[in-house]
Amino acid sequence: MATTESAFQAAAGGKRLTKRLSPYLYLLPALLVMVVITFYPMGFQAYMSLTDYGIKNLRFDAPLPDFLALKNYIRIATTDLGLSNFDFWKMLGFNLWWTFSNVIVHVSMGIVIAVALNTEGLWFKRIYRAIFIVPIIIPQIIIANVFRNMFDPDYGAINQGLTLLGQLLRISPELFQIRWIDQVDFPISWLPLTLSYFALLITNVWLGWPFMTIVATGALQSIPRELYEAAEIDGASGPQQFWRVTLPLLRPAMVPAAVYGIVVTFNLFTLIYFLSGGGPIRRTEILLTAAFRLINEQRLYGLAAAFSVYIFLILLGLTLLTNYITRATESYDV
Amino acid sequence: MKKQLWIGLSMMLLAALVLGACGTPATEAPAPVEPQPAATEAPAATEAPAMEPVELTIWHGYHTGEAEEQTVNQILEAYKVAHPEVTVNVLAVPFDQLFNKWETEVAAGGGPDMFTAPNDNLGNEIRGGLVAAIDELVAGKLDGFTQLGIDGVSYEGKMYAVPGIAKAVGLFYNKSTIASPPTTTDELMALVKEGKKVIFRPYGYHLFGIFTGAFGGTLLDETGKCVADQGGFADAFAYLAELQAAGAMFEPDEGKANTMFMQGEADMILTGPWMLGTFKEALGDNLGAVPLPTGPGGTATPLTGIDGWYINPNSTKQQAAVDLALYMFGPEGAKVYSDVAGSPMARTDVTASDPLVAEFAAIASAGFPRPQSVEFGAWWGAFDDASKKLLENQGTPAELVAAACASMNTANNK
Repeated sequence: MATTESAFQAAAGGKRLTKRLSPYLYLLPALLVMVVITFYPMGFQAYMSLTDYGIKNLRFDAPLPDFLALKNYIRIATTDLGLSNFDFWKMLGFNLWWTFSNVIVHVSMGIVIAVALNTEGLWFKRIYRAIFIVPIIIPQIIIANVFRNMFDPDYGAINQGLTLLGQLLRISPELFQIRWIDQVDFPISWLPLTLSYFALLITNVWLGWPFMTIVATGALQSIPRELYEAAEIDGASGPQQFWRVTLPLLRPAMVPAAVYGIVVTFNLFTLIYFLSGGGPIRRTEILLTAAFRLINEQRLYGLAAAFSVYIFLILLGLTLLTNYITRATESYDV
Repeated sequence: MKKQLWIGLSMMLLAALVLGACGTPATEAPAPVEPQPAATEAPAATEAPAMEPVELTIWHGYHTGEAEEQTVNQILEAYKVAHPEVTVNVLAVPFDQLFNKWETEVAAGGGPDMFTAPNDNLGNEIRGGLVAAIDELVAGKLDGFTQLGIDGVSYEGKMYAVPGIAKAVGLFYNKSTIASPPTTTDELMALVKEGKKVIFRPYGYHLFGIFTGAFGGTLLDETGKCVADQGGFADAFAYLAELQAAGAMFEPDEGKANTMFMQGEADMILTGPWMLGTFKEALGDNLGAVPLPTGPGGTATPLTGIDGWYINPNSTKQQAAVDLALYMFGPEGAKVYSDVAGSPMARTDVTASDPLVAEFAAIASAGFPRPQSVEFGAWWGAFDDASKKLLENQGTPAELVAAACASMNTANNK
C-alpha cells in the first residue's frame, strides 16, 4: 500500500516538475539562438572595447589584444583619436538634435495626416492609406541615392523645381544653384546646421511620417465614437475634441512608436552614409557612421566597440528617460 | 497528426539551420567557370601538365560582363588547356565587400586560395597575418616584372603578392577642344583662365602627385611623422585654390564628374586608367591622356597602386596558386590584360597595343608606390578633409595643411 502511495506521489512529483520545466524547454531553442547571435557578440564587443583589438588580432590563432581598461572610452570622450574634424560631444549633440528634430516632425505630421484622412466621407481613403506604405517598403539605400541625385546642385530635381518656381516669381535662377550636400557654411549664420542636414531632414521626413500615420490611423479606429458624441453634447468644439479626446487616446499607441522612432533615427546609418556621407567635413556625422569609419577605414575594432557601447548606453538612457516621462508602459483605462 | 507534422517540419528546419551553421567554411567551391567566347587570341599553353589534380578557388571583384572579368576567364581557359589537372573555381565578389570578406574568412581559417585586388589594404592585411609571404614560392620566377610592381606588393623586405596592374591618375583630355594638353601647372592655369574646363576630384588620392612631386612636398619623414607642413603642400594648396577661382571644377561625385567629361561639359579630367574603356566609348579618337602637369617642384608623382594576386595563408595549395598567379600576370596573361581590359601592366616585356594604355603604364611607372605603413593610413581622412575645406574657403593653405598634419601625428602617436 505504502509502495503504491509513494509511487503515486513520485509520479505526481514528476508531473509537477515536467509542468514547471516545460516552459523553459520551449524557450530553450530561442534562448540558445539568442545566446549565440545576440548575447555572445554583445559580451565580446564589451570585451573588445577594453582592449586595443585591431586587425592583428582578427585571425583565429592570433594573440590576445592588450588590455587597456577604459582608455578607449577616455580617448573618445576627450576627442583624442586623431580624426580630423572629429569632436565626440559635438557629434553627440548633433546626433541628439537630428533624432529629436526628426521624430517630432514625424509624429506631428503622422497624427495630423491620420486625423485628416480619418474624416468621414473622404473619397479614396483606402488608396491614400495604401500609398503610405511606399516609403517604408523601398530600401533606404535606394531612397538615399535617389534623393542624393535630386539634391544635385546642377541636375537635381529640387533645384530645377525651385528654379521653375522662381521664374514664375521673377527670381534669378542663380539663387537656386543650392549646394545642398557640399556647402560647408551654415545657411543660417546663428544656427550651426549645414544644408546637408536640411536635405537629410527633408528626406527622412518623407521616409518617416507614413509609419507614424499608419500607427495613428490604427489607434484612431479604436477610439469609441460615443466619446465624441458626449463631447459634442458637452459643447466641445472640434479643436477641443482633438486636444481633449483624440490626442490623449492616441498616446498609448504613439508613445511606443515615438520611442521606436527615436532608436531608429538615432542610428539611421544608411540614409546618412549614402546621402551626405556624414559630410561636409563630418558635420552630419552620427555616432554610428563614425564607428563604421573606425572599422572600415582604419580597422580600429577596439575603439569602434567602445563607440558602440557609448551608443548603447545613450540609447538605453534615452529609452528609460522617455519611458519615465511619458509613462509609455503604463496601462490606460478608457 | 497535423501537430506531429508541424513538429517534424520544425525539427527538420532547426536541424538544417544547425547543420548549415556548422558547414564547411568559405573554401567550398563555387561553380567552375563557364567557357567564355575569346575576345582576342588566348595565350598559348607554355608549361607541361603536372600529374596531381589540384582544385583552386579564386576571387576577384570585377563586374559580370566587364572587360576585366572577360580577361580573367579568357586567361583561365588557356591555363586549363595547359594544365588540365588544375580546376579553377572563380567567384566574383562585389568590390566594396572584397577586402572585408577576405579578411573575415581568412581570419576564421577559411577563404579562397587567392584573390586579386589593388594594394589598397595590403599593409593592414600583412599586419593581420591575412596574406601569405610568397618570396620562396616566386624565387627565380620574377623575370619581366617591374621593380615598381614588386615594391608595390612588398613590405619590410617580404613580398606578399604576384604584382600585375599598375594604376595611377593622369589627365584625360578631349582632343577636339584641347589642341595642346598642359605639361606644366602654369600651362594648366593658363588654359583654365582661357575658359577651358578641367575637373579635379577633391581627394587626397587624386591630388597626391600635385602636393608631392609637382610642388615638392614630403608627407612623412623616415620615422613616419607627418612633415607636410614643412613645405610644398601649402604651395600646392594655394595653387589649387587659385585654379578653382579661375574656373576649375572640383567635383566630389565621381559619376557626375565622368559624365560631364563624356558629354563635353568639361575638356579635361583628372582620373585613372580604369575609366579608359568608358571614355573611349564616349569620345572615340578624340580621347587623349597625359601625365599630371609638372610643377615648380618637379614632375608630379601620383600614387601608384598595384593590383596583385594575394595568396591565402590558410591555403594548402599555395604553390599551385602562385603558379596560376604567375601565369595570369606572366607575359601572355599580361598581354591579354593589356589588350582586352586596357590595363597598364607592371611588366617590362609587355607592350600595350593601345597608346593610351601605354601612356598610363608610363604614368604609373613614374608614380610614387602607395605606402603600406600604419602611419600612411591616417593620410586619407586628414587630407581629404583639408582639401575639402580649402575649396570651401574654410582656412588658409598653411593652416589647413598644419591641421591635417597634426591630426595625422595625433592618430599615429608622433
